[in-house]
Amino acid sequence: MITRIATDRLAIVSDLHLGNPFSDVRAKTVAFVDWVSREGFDLCINGDGFEVTQLSFSRVSRDVPDVLRALKMAMQRGTKVYYVVGNHDIVFEHFLNDWGGFKLAPFLNVESGSRRYRVEHGHLYDPFFVSSPRLYDFCTWMGGFLLKVHPRFYRLWIRFERLRSRLRAERERGIIGEHPNFLAAASELEARGFDGVVFGHTHHGGRVELPGGGWYLNPGSFMLSSNFVKIVEGRLELSSFGGKHG
Amino acid sequence: MAQGLEFIHYQDGECIFQEGDTTQEMYVVQSGEVVIRKENRGEPLTLAVLRRGEFVGEMSLLESLPRSAHAYARGPTKLLRIQAGGFLLKIRRDPTFAFELLQALSRRIRTKNEQLIAALSQGNLSEAKKILENEA
Repeated sequence: MITRIATDRLAIVSDLHLGNPFSDVRAKTVAFVDWVSREGFDLCINGDGFEVTQLSFSRVSRDVPDVLRALKMAMQRGTKVYYVVGNHDIVFEHFLNDWGGFKLAPFLNVESGSRRYRVEHGHLYDPFFVSSPRLYDFCTWMGGFLLKVHPRFYRLWIRFERLRSRLRAERERGIIGEHPNFLAAASELEARGFDGVVFGHTHHGGRVELPGGGWYLNPGSFMLSSNFVKIVEGRLELSSFGGKHG
Repeated sequence: MAQGLEFIHYQDGECIFQEGDTTQEMYVVQSGEVVIRKENRGEPLTLAVLRRGEFVGEMSLLESLPRSAHAYARGPTKLLRIQAGGFLLKIRRDPTFAFELLQALSRRIRTKNEQLIAALSQGNLSEAKKILENEA
């Protein structure tokens, strides 16, 4: 299991949830993987790339083979693909490891230039997931039925989280929609010698400056936006994928 | 900063701790470098140079034993000091800290084993003894 990599160019995307009724990112993901590979980036899928808990078999059969094929072609061109395990795809860990090509990691410490960044899915800092994992799983599974009724229910949930975040007294400087724990966790990591931290999991994108001058970035879910994080020669940036032009 | 944690700044060459000290904090290198040295029959021996993100002094925290080597700052150095009381709190708030600590310890054991096996397979008992003494 690797946790430490050195790279000049890394593109990080998270929460594709391929196989989820709400996830309609097959074409965008294939185009993105192709673009990443042709631009000379390595790729990191920062958790929840594949869906288990809210699985739709028809979506899996429609979407997953094309994406895996695109990833395989990228790897044949020399692109390194790192897969950081999330909470929705943790049961796929052995499969992803054995499928070949992916470099699986619980998290990544990325060295680029003189900078050091942590890339991690972030579910370990979700207070609901940590305090009540079974209830969390059950609620996620129940949510899957709502998504089968109409996938757009998910957008309502995202709007609710953003509203709650704006109303929450302790929001302070965090990413809107996120629990303050994620910013606190990023600050803890910065204190251990990281210049920046990249999480996924929350599906809320944004960037926040950390107490020591570093940055916490979350690209949000690739289902909801085309944002990704890129590390280029030590620089950490939030970027947006615009189809064939990147 | 959470309880049991604080940043400490050191100048170039400043001593962080000496062999035999009974202090029990551990450190994480936030910036700069830490040189670990040991006296070996009167000769100073550099055991390691620790950089950003690496751990210093964890053996004394975990085992409550005196320091086994000297530690000095190389260049301006900023360390995150973790005291025994804050250690478990740190693990709770930052679980990958424990993972990386275990990785570091595993790496050290494996490296020492490889060095020991190499020395013994060459019949170099004095080298093997030096490796074991540096562990003590």
